[in-house]
Amino acid sequence: MFDKDRIEEIERKRKEWEEGTLKKSLERFGLKESPTKFYTPTDLRDFDFLDKVGFPGEYPFTAAEYPSLVPELRVRGGVSSLLVRASSYSGYGTAEDTRDYYNYMRSAYGRRGGPNIAFDLPTQCGYDSDSTMARGEVGKTGVSVDTLRDFELLYEAFVGDHDLDKIASNFTINAPCNVILAMYFTLAEKRGIPLDKLRGTPQNDILKEFAARGTYVFPPKPSMRMVRDTITYCTEHVLSMNPISICGYHIREAGATPVQMVGFTLSNAIAYVQLGIDAGLDVDTFMRRFTFLVWSTGMDFFKEIARARAGRRIWAKIMKERFGAKNPRSWMLRGAGGMGIPTHTLTAQRPLNNIARCVVTGIGNAMSGAPPFGGVPYDEPMGLGHSLEAQQLSLDAGRIMQFEAKLADVIDPFAGSYYVESLTDEAEEQIWGIINKIDAMGGAVDAIEKGYMQREIARSAYQYQKEVETGERVIVGVNRFTGEQELEVLTSRLVEHPYDPKKRAEAEEKQLKSLAQVKKERDDGQVQATLRRLREEAKDEGGNLIPPIMEAVKAYATIGEICNVLREVFGEYEAYNVTA
Amino acid sequence: MADERRIRVLMAKPGLDGHDRGARVLTLGLRDEGMEVIYTGLRQTPEKIVQAAIQEDVDVVGLSCLSGAHRYLFPEVVEQLKANGVEDMLVIGGGIIPKEDIAFLEEKGVGAIFGPGTSIKEIASYIRENTKRK
Repeated sequence: MFDKDRIEEIERKRKEWEEGTLKKSLERFGLKESPTKFYTPTDLRDFDFLDKVGFPGEYPFTAAEYPSLVPELRVRGGVSSLLVRASSYSGYGTAEDTRDYYNYMRSAYGRRGGPNIAFDLPTQCGYDSDSTMARGEVGKTGVSVDTLRDFELLYEAFVGDHDLDKIASNFTINAPCNVILAMYFTLAEKRGIPLDKLRGTPQNDILKEFAARGTYVFPPKPSMRMVRDTITYCTEHVLSMNPISICGYHIREAGATPVQMVGFTLSNAIAYVQLGIDAGLDVDTFMRRFTFLVWSTGMDFFKEIARARAGRRIWAKIMKERFGAKNPRSWMLRGAGGMGIPTHTLTAQRPLNNIARCVVTGIGNAMSGAPPFGGVPYDEPMGLGHSLEAQQLSLDAGRIMQFEAKLADVIDPFAGSYYVESLTDEAEEQIWGIINKIDAMGGAVDAIEKGYMQREIARSAYQYQKEVETGERVIVGVNRFTGEQELEVLTSRLVEHPYDPKKRAEAEEKQLKSLAQVKKERDDGQVQATLRRLREEAKDEGGNLIPPIMEAVKAYATIGEICNVLREVFGEYEAYNVTA
Repeated sequence: MADERRIRVLMAKPGLDGHDRGARVLTLGLRDEGMEVIYTGLRQTPEKIVQAAIQEDVDVVGLSCLSGAHRYLFPEVVEQLKANGVEDMLVIGGGIIPKEDIAFLEEKGVGAIFGPGTSIKEIASYIRENTKRK
């Protein structure tokens, strides 16, 4: 970038500065070494802009996924869509409770668009509400869905100009994804809406469940078969549905380091892409619909920016060179955005400090190819559900960054920075190291079966905690600045949250009654016939299970009954014991 | 000096909650504090936890829950220990437990609740000071 002579002159002058100005200044403070770095062109002497950065929305996508921030900024006041998505991940209690919640949010708060549905743990783990495994859990982390009936009730909030062909639905569902999708497709059929009009994204990233999140049901190989079924079915019949949202977020939140998060995620992504290819699909066709979730970020501002940029660059190279994808859209880390959200860094102590943390990472997102946004509402560590005040402040923080600080007026402003480009190269090298290591093990599925990702994540989590306990890693208000003279600033959350606590408390009992009612009213013979058919089809690895699951769902078979048939055929995953 | 029997801990994840970073970190951390710790893994019913606790003859049962099901699960473990004639096992909990629920759980027999920001050392000290078994 700079000519050789100029570089040498800068090196000379740097040494002069270090031995002169810097040394004198440090001596005044009794220091030998400077605690602050300074980068110059000499740190980037072989930098080739077109090779390393290029242009936003073009290979290698280092700067950003899209040519401008416009695709990320929705028409709704020009505010980042991420902001709207993150704060509307919702659901609780019974299907009616959630239906009423969505109706209320629309009428009282003007929320438009489709649902971003959180399901309760029994649903996510393929258990019915009346299972012994479900006791105490029904309707807590999200809405309880046992049968098609629950879907029909929930979607009473989405009719008319919010009908299924006019909205997109997000489902945070993984192991029983195809059961939930079967319900959605069946509902569409009942409403006379063609499948190719449906839009949405199920999470469906089962590998990260084994590695980090824990809502697995079946072992890895049959689980991958189910993901393949989603990819092939959607590619053929539900063209506007994204079959997957590949997640690094949970891997980091469970304890992985920033580079492990990207390395493990991209290794998982490689395995998913291979599913499509092995099924005989054209890579550029199905990759149009692969998405990634936003990352999880820590507070190490510049390193996280660099890691986000490196992640895009690496994936672009993998899609282009390893998989030979021809369409530039296939090379995109579609949906991942910038550095991500800092959920695991938020503290229950002095929770308003979490706003500061989210603003730092909001700015970081603006510095790493995405719009700024307010992150997570500050009361995240305080319990289930975010107060409306906290949601408001999160929204406002994003607006302040965008409209007052004008952070969305430029994209990737650190492109070419001696510091950030050096950090990006370093992050890239470390991430490739992890991807290559997992490749050598046979890929993500093998790595998970061997317990590699799980062990590494547990180790990193423990390392992080040790750093917190020694004070090496500072957490303000938790391990430092906790003296008597510090104020414990409390918050008052006064606006009644639209999640009615009474409804939530009564949900389990209500759901047990409705489930019993559905079982009474349905044709048991038909249910058994569909489950028998499913069992047969499941034994044939080559068959797509979505059609037989849809038949079962139509007969009002429960999610537990369907998953139990699959448990019989596939077995259940036995978690790898990382602490043995 | 007599051989001091090491404190034995069962670290458990009751219910369906899959967030076990804390449980894993605490397992490793308490081992470094000189205790013997067994981690049950995910998806443990209260019955299974109590069976394991008795079988492993532990002094402490640590319960971790971040899914909101603690009001049912934690007291259930305490009840089932009692029903099995175990009176002197220390039961402690952690995870995401809203402040409002702590008094309720303590009333039901949970010794202490350790929320976000607690250090391993704090938990280790508490265990040493409150273990009832000899």
